[in-house]
Amino acid sequence: MKKIWSSSILLMLGLMLAGCGNEQSNSGETAEKKTSNNTEPEIMTDNLGNEVEIPDNPEKVLASYLEDYLVALDVTPVAQWSIYDGESIQEYLQADLEGIPLIPHDLPYESVLEYEPDLIVIRDPIEQDMYDQYAQIAPTYVLNSSPTEWRATLEEIGEVLGKEEKAQSVLESYKEKAKEKAEELAEVVKGESAAAIWMVNNSLFVVHPERSSGAVLYEDLGLEIPEVVSELSSDADWAAISLEELAKMNVDHLFFINSDGPNAEMLEDRLWQNIPAVQNEQVYEFGPETSWLYYGPIASEQVMDNVVESITNRVQ
Amino acid sequence: MNLRMVLTKNYKSFLFFLLLLIVIISLFSLVTGYLSISLSDIWSTITGEGTKRNQLLLIEFRLPRLLVAILAGASLGVAGTLFQGVTQNELADPGIIGINSGAGLAVVLFLTVRSSQVSSSTLINAISLPVAAFIGGLMAAVCIYMIAWKKGITPIRMLLVGIGINAGFGALLTMLQLRMNERDFNQVAIWLSGSIWNAHWPAVFSLLPWTLLLIPISMYKARTLNILQLGDQMAVGLGVSLELERAKLVTIGVALAGVSVSVAGGISFLGLGAPHIARKLIGNKHERLLPVAACIGALILLISDILARNLLAPAEVPVGIIVSILGAPYFLYLLVNSEN
Repeated sequence: MKKIWSSSILLMLGLMLAGCGNEQSNSGETAEKKTSNNTEPEIMTDNLGNEVEIPDNPEKVLASYLEDYLVALDVTPVAQWSIYDGESIQEYLQADLEGIPLIPHDLPYESVLEYEPDLIVIRDPIEQDMYDQYAQIAPTYVLNSSPTEWRATLEEIGEVLGKEEKAQSVLESYKEKAKEKAEELAEVVKGESAAAIWMVNNSLFVVHPERSSGAVLYEDLGLEIPEVVSELSSDADWAAISLEELAKMNVDHLFFINSDGPNAEMLEDRLWQNIPAVQNEQVYEFGPETSWLYYGPIASEQVMDNVVESITNRVQ
Repeated sequence: MNLRMVLTKNYKSFLFFLLLLIVIISLFSLVTGYLSISLSDIWSTITGEGTKRNQLLLIEFRLPRLLVAILAGASLGVAGTLFQGVTQNELADPGIIGINSGAGLAVVLFLTVRSSQVSSSTLINAISLPVAAFIGGLMAAVCIYMIAWKKGITPIRMLLVGIGINAGFGALLTMLQLRMNERDFNQVAIWLSGSIWNAHWPAVFSLLPWTLLLIPISMYKARTLNILQLGDQMAVGLGVSLELERAKLVTIGVALAGVSVSVAGGISFLGLGAPHIARKLIGNKHERLLPVAACIGALILLISDILARNLLAPAEVPVGIIVSILGAPYFLYLLVNSEN
């Protein structure tokens, strides 16, 4: 039961992120940097229009649900995102975040105060009243970049943390790796299509071709987008798709994120069993603990590894 | 009832006891919570020698919240007493008859309009939100009056129409909410469930003048409320201009309920339960009933807030849900018993 809850919350988060994605990409992107002089404190304007005085070399950074970026920038957060006292955490980051204490996803003031951070970075635009309370604990910066653009987010967080160069080098090495892997894939499965399907609470969702793991599949690795996927692409990271539509989808490789476990009803359905990719055994299953549902440099890289490994293993 | 007689006789000491209880529970509320702080820490913080952490914790997070709970609880208790006095029905409550959802709707409308304007300062919010809530609540009250009017108002008609209005306004609210951007949606969702978890000093200051003004005015009106209790004919016979007085009392009640909604959200049942408990304790004389109802309302919300903060700490249960969990069975009990 609790698992369903946490899955639903993930789903909601995904839809919410998607919902505000578009608006922000127009308004944001340009975090003004007024001074970069070393003698004066650095002031950056955040998404709420607050002029935030960024401390030099913050040591205790709190950036809930942005841990992916911190890890990529070699910054250890003081606490990490969680739901229901650890019922749900970002499993795919635990290799780097093990032992980091948990903080509830809604960031109660007292929990934030407990860790006495010296910089708070927040993804979603919050109410100014709440912002004022957080800002009393530590300088608080609300990101300008769109939640659906992990590269811009990484650059912005890099700027806030004074790690612009590290951010650039992460982007560079990701780009190189993506290029290399795309070529590797092109040798074995040129022109073949792929899709990522997420099953949660016995419903199916297909990834948006430009978002989250979808961006990795199509933009970074150059796999073909099945027709149905580009038609379905709505404003959500994951668009609902019926089993019937999925059965009709002409797709070579199906990446299947299963949040319902191996005994899900759907898997027994004749329609499911008749999906061409299922019959050809070109379905690759991943659990909800993998990074397929997330954004960020680490998440994307892990998805990339998953894809390449799955397909090359299959083809050999 | 024996207890009632004893309490009525020693009314002043009883009221003093209630106030003392509020102070004690307030202190308890300050020391409980996710982060621990001792009474001596509180003392050193008050005298200005505390750590920055304790100062933030007490002065900026817990104290405004505590004050909002007390003020909103007292306002709702008094508002409920006024509505029950006017409608002559112990089941009347600003939450049940749609005043709260009217106020809520107005706040949501206000936020929707505002979000298209320039950014809002906290100060402007603190002043304008209660006013918007008051207008919305008044709108609901006028609707109820117009629909329930049939050569005058019968209390039971008023109550039933109110329940309908509540549902209607609730539906409008949901419709509006679905058309919002995420940030406004979040703010609305937070206080719709009756939450004071982000209470801060501006919220206290936006409540304070209203309660300081309106609670004494309602006490001043205690005599009128007593006369209304004798029935319409008797009241007219005693020289009360019935509809005018009713309208005045309803307006005060709406204002009190509205401002507490604008800060603490849709807390239901408090306006019902607090006056009812107070009436059991001290009887029907409004000059005693109103202050006691205010204290009981403050106490209930204070205790609910302690529960809300600590049950799932550090996560929170919206305080309105706690009040409802405590209040719903009480409401049903009243309904069942009122048959007799």
